Amino acid sequence: MSGLRQIAFYGKGGIGKSTTSQNTLAALAEMGQKILIVGCDPKADSTRLILHAKAQDTVLSLAAEAGSVEDLELEDVLRVGYRDIRCVESGGPEPGVGCAGRGVITAINFLEENGAYDGVDYVSYDVLGDVVCGGFAMPIRENKAQEIYIVMSGEMMAMYAANNISKGILKYANAGGVRLGGLICNERQTDKEWELADALATRLGTKLIHFVPRDNTVQHAELRRMTVLEYDPASKQAEEYRQLAGKIHANAGNGTIPTPITMEELEDLLLEFGIMQKEDESIIGKAASAA
Amino acid sequence: MSADVKTRNQELIQEVLAAYPEKAAKKRAKHLNVYEEGKPDCGVKSNIKSLPGVMTIRGCAYAGSKGVVWGPIKDMVHISHGPVGCGQYSWGTRRNYYGGTTGVNSFVGMQITSDFQEKDIVFGGDKKLDKMIDEIVTLFPLANGLSIQSECPIGLIGDDIEAVAKRKTKEIGKTIVPVRCEGFRGVSQSLGHHIANDQVRDWVLDKAESNHETGPYDVAIIGDYNIGGDAWSSRILLEEMGLRVVAQWSGDGTLKEMEKTPKVKLNLLHCYRSMNYISRHMEEKYGIPWVEYNFFGPTKIAASLREIASHFDDKIKEGAEKVIAKYQPMVDAVIAKYKPRLDKKTVMLYVGGLRPRHVVGAYEDLGMEVVGAGYEFAHGDDYQRTTHYVKDGTLIYDDVTGFEFEKFAEKLQPDLVGSGVKEKYIFQKMGIPFRQMHSWDYSGPYHGYDGFAIFARDMDMAINSPVWGMTKAPWKK
Amino acid sequence: MPQNAASVLDHNRLFKEPEYQSLMEGKKVFEDAVPDAKVKEVEDWTKSWEYREINFKREALTINPAKACQPLGAVLAAAGFEGTLPYVHGSQGCVAYFRSHFNRHFKEPSSCVSDSMTEDAAVFGGLNNMVDGLSNAHALYKPKMIAVSTTCMAEVIGDDLDSFIKTAKQKGVIPEEFDVPFAHTPSFVGSHVTGYDNMMKGILTHFWTGKERKANNSVNILGGFDGYCVGNNRELKRMLGLMGVDYTILSDASDVFDTPTNGEFNMYAGGTTIEATKAALNAKATIAMQSISVAKTLEFAATTGQEVVELNCPIGVTATDAFLMEVSRITGKPIPAELELERGRLVDAMADSQAYLHGKKFALFGDPDMAMGLTAFLLEMGAEPVHIVCSNAPKGWEDKMQKMLDASPFGKEAKLYPGKDLWHMRSLLATEPVEFLIGSSNGKVLERDCNVPLIRIGFPIFDRHHHHRFPIWGYQGSLNVLVKVLDKIFDALDDGSRNDVDFDMVR
Repeated sequence: MSGLRQIAFYGKGGIGKSTTSQNTLAALAEMGQKILIVGCDPKADSTRLILHAKAQDTVLSLAAEAGSVEDLELEDVLRVGYRDIRCVESGGPEPGVGCAGRGVITAINFLEENGAYDGVDYVSYDVLGDVVCGGFAMPIRENKAQEIYIVMSGEMMAMYAANNISKGILKYANAGGVRLGGLICNERQTDKEWELADALATRLGTKLIHFVPRDNTVQHAELRRMTVLEYDPASKQAEEYRQLAGKIHANAGNGTIPTPITMEELEDLLLEFGIMQKEDESIIGKAASAA
Repeated sequence: MSADVKTRNQELIQEVLAAYPEKAAKKRAKHLNVYEEGKPDCGVKSNIKSLPGVMTIRGCAYAGSKGVVWGPIKDMVHISHGPVGCGQYSWGTRRNYYGGTTGVNSFVGMQITSDFQEKDIVFGGDKKLDKMIDEIVTLFPLANGLSIQSECPIGLIGDDIEAVAKRKTKEIGKTIVPVRCEGFRGVSQSLGHHIANDQVRDWVLDKAESNHETGPYDVAIIGDYNIGGDAWSSRILLEEMGLRVVAQWSGDGTLKEMEKTPKVKLNLLHCYRSMNYISRHMEEKYGIPWVEYNFFGPTKIAASLREIASHFDDKIKEGAEKVIAKYQPMVDAVIAKYKPRLDKKTVMLYVGGLRPRHVVGAYEDLGMEVVGAGYEFAHGDDYQRTTHYVKDGTLIYDDVTGFEFEKFAEKLQPDLVGSGVKEKYIFQKMGIPFRQMHSWDYSGPYHGYDGFAIFARDMDMAINSPVWGMTKAPWKK
Repeated sequence: MPQNAASVLDHNRLFKEPEYQSLMEGKKVFEDAVPDAKVKEVEDWTKSWEYREINFKREALTINPAKACQPLGAVLAAAGFEGTLPYVHGSQGCVAYFRSHFNRHFKEPSSCVSDSMTEDAAVFGGLNNMVDGLSNAHALYKPKMIAVSTTCMAEVIGDDLDSFIKTAKQKGVIPEEFDVPFAHTPSFVGSHVTGYDNMMKGILTHFWTGKERKANNSVNILGGFDGYCVGNNRELKRMLGLMGVDYTILSDASDVFDTPTNGEFNMYAGGTTIEATKAALNAKATIAMQSISVAKTLEFAATTGQEVVELNCPIGVTATDAFLMEVSRITGKPIPAELELERGRLVDAMADSQAYLHGKKFALFGDPDMAMGLTAFLLEMGAEPVHIVCSNAPKGWEDKMQKMLDASPFGKEAKLYPGKDLWHMRSLLATEPVEFLIGSSNGKVLERDCNVPLIRIGFPIFDRHHHHRFPIWGYQGSLNVLVKVLDKIFDALDDGSRNDVDFDMVR
């Protein structure tokens, strides 16, 4: 197990985290790496591009059917997709009921106990938007992911989430081995996006590991439930993901303990780049009609 | 007590506190004191979170609701909702006696649980609860209602047990009471009592319609859990004095009795801590006065019988005097037999929310003296009431830790410790006689005159057992 | 007035007096009680085949299960190590329950702390509780080791023990080198035996991981969750001592749950030492006395290169033979004449008494390995197990049991009920009666309802004293089991013939 690289992708919901992770992992597979993807999001959409499937049967839904996880075998939950990438989705409840976080813990324990990690080079956890409770921090516990990659953009909420996730990592980094691997900026074409992302990375004590430009090829591939790497390997975008994959591959052991910043510092940063205007106290709480 | 004793007790407190890390010592200092005569309370803080890692003796809100208030209601099925443990550990251990056929028309001695599995946590347990209620109705047709006693996970995963209860009540036409008594709520059993009382108010009394025949002497026993039959040996006295006991809350109690209670003339409250809430509510809403009473030991029993009678006419007052006179010879014989063997013996008590003060009189009737007292889950009003019972210089310890209790007993060397099963074997190893004062050590009843005889006999056999003379090997002097 | 000072009446006599009988009858008016005839009618129905079928269709409801939750087992496993304070991260009420559960079974103190997580910890996580809890527990109770497990509250919110303990050490509340093994023990997975397994694995992982193994000729013994650990472990030590074997019992709670009354309370008595636990990595083999109940620990032991031996609660001649022969095979030490003599005496006792057991029909319930051990013994005696319930049976239990039953002509009638509870058992006993029931004190309601004598072997034993002091393993232990069973059989014979012709002086 010593050679096993474990990484995790975190990021605000809707940021393109699953797309980015699957494309990057496809590129890693292209480099000859044996990969296991563990989707840790009740939506279970972390493996669809690899499997060309709508949504994979999840560990938890299968366990609920069978009675308990003890009744499952690894082959019940493991699917193999593009370039032999192994895929598992933890799954979880509908919004508003139960405990999705516990689902993540259950699923990961099941995978470890049943030898799902044997014989792979990379385990990648794709985790729901934010570290909302202890369960979603499961992948950053000791002996799980060594590096966390935060997918973000130049939008305010994405940066806010990136900072929050850093806080979550910091909690575990001091006692354990988890490190922040870097930020991945998924271009949204906001103002000074690269500069802002790079500045945030510096403030968080990490680096902007890659800036993924916006490209319609991604959408075209997605419509076919494919990664760009598979859909159009010769495309410029595929090359971007290859670069990102290469950087992540070379990044082993280079992670850092993040230095999350305060809300005020984050706002200052946004002001500095002109993303946010100085607060005009006179307009606070006034409806449009009152203006 | 002498100034010497007070100084010794104060020094003892300081000695004990010195063992704690600073932050913890500061907190614990507020819970330990030496009682000063004339003060309005015992000078300790209470109903505050226990320190982590100190071996508190306290339990949780679930224990307060399922274990204390709801569990003894015999014509209802009480679901321990969550993982299997809570219901298992509290299965048949509290000795609240009940009549009926278990599993047919009485359900107290049963462990009924949703036995949560991982999937219930992840996907939520409401559907399971729904199905479970149907299964209970089928298997136990004589059950008059159900209660849902929440364990920790229920509140954490956001299950909506109230919605399930409402829907199923309509479907099955029986009372279903959802109780949010998750163990992490509050600081002890106490919040569980309160939550349980509130649910009686909202889900039983507010919906109750009882058209039973009422009478001028209708009373209810509130806060007697019938440990070893306590409520029966209390009820017999009340009936003998001419009162009509309409309900027992909740030892050997039923949903039907609870529903009849809003029409009684007087509520008789024994365990103030666990049921003052519902007594106050019935006073406000139905105008029923309530009176606290104490049925431990002949002195307090007689005073209580007279106090209760004072709320009624001469017939009842005469009845009370007749009852007191009737039992006096038996009481005299009990005291004549046991007092010589127990006179001047000292006791340290650490019990729940009532007994550390309520039993003081019974010990005094036997010539014994309480030198230390503390509560697991009392509030300020309990410590105020305690001042009427304890003597100057008594060592007071709130939410005592295992460490403190042992040190205190080592120094005070009482002739008897009265506490719970977790403490019993510790003190017996130390060679100190012990009686469990939650479960009556599998004996009882201790309430009423009949109970006092058993109480006196039990204290005698604990203290005067020959076994305590053999704890040291003779060759070790 | 029934009570009197000269001869004080206890509850068992007091409430049978006419005054109280009429009091209880009078109370029924307020209970709106259904007539006795109706109660009887429903009671009879609950014992019918029709009811049995409905009862077995239950999907969501569990009634009177014979199992507890994980942290209880973790506390027992931890208690068997020298100077070890079991520590449960989560709600405090759980620990009050675990302690009283062991108090009632062993009639002994049970030391364990909680870090008293409340509503704020439910929202913010229990890190602060862990830091303060370790600090206070270490200062007050001066343990050599603190073994941490979890309640379901901590598991639902996803607290991470490893990182919490490390953080507590970084904050300096306990020394860096202080041993704090841990195990996550969610109550909603498995049962108390699972928790024992997890804690044991946690402790061994703590001491063995990253250490080099230098194999020697000693053996490790894993008892698993055992309510008879006091008697059993001493019997194991005696037998292994007679064989002259180097051994380590991993978790030995025989002293901590059997301290003398001598004027002092000794919170930490005996137990497997930390040194011995570390050294146990070098053992040639690990023998699991209850292998189903320590499956994960055994798997871990195997990864170190140790040979692992799987036994299933060895009660009876064959099972004890197997145990001794395995020890002999592994260590090369012969089985001494003394033990062979004991074996002969057990066989002698069985021969003397077999007529009273042969063909007798039994029901039994218990933990997975216990159920196997008892079944094996019954088959050896020519008794016929009929209903076997195991509320906490893991995967694989049924197959193993079935194989054993199939191999004996006395196992033909037996049916296995994994995952079922004692309310299922009630239906089984009511519709297909047997002569005797074996199980824990929880079975006494079945004894009452179904009029079947209960032989108390299992966990917990709350309503009889000192059973745990006597072994049930080995030849001597098997003899104890035999006597327990026989006593009940003879009592039943006498009860049934008290006014009859066959009230024999000699049996």
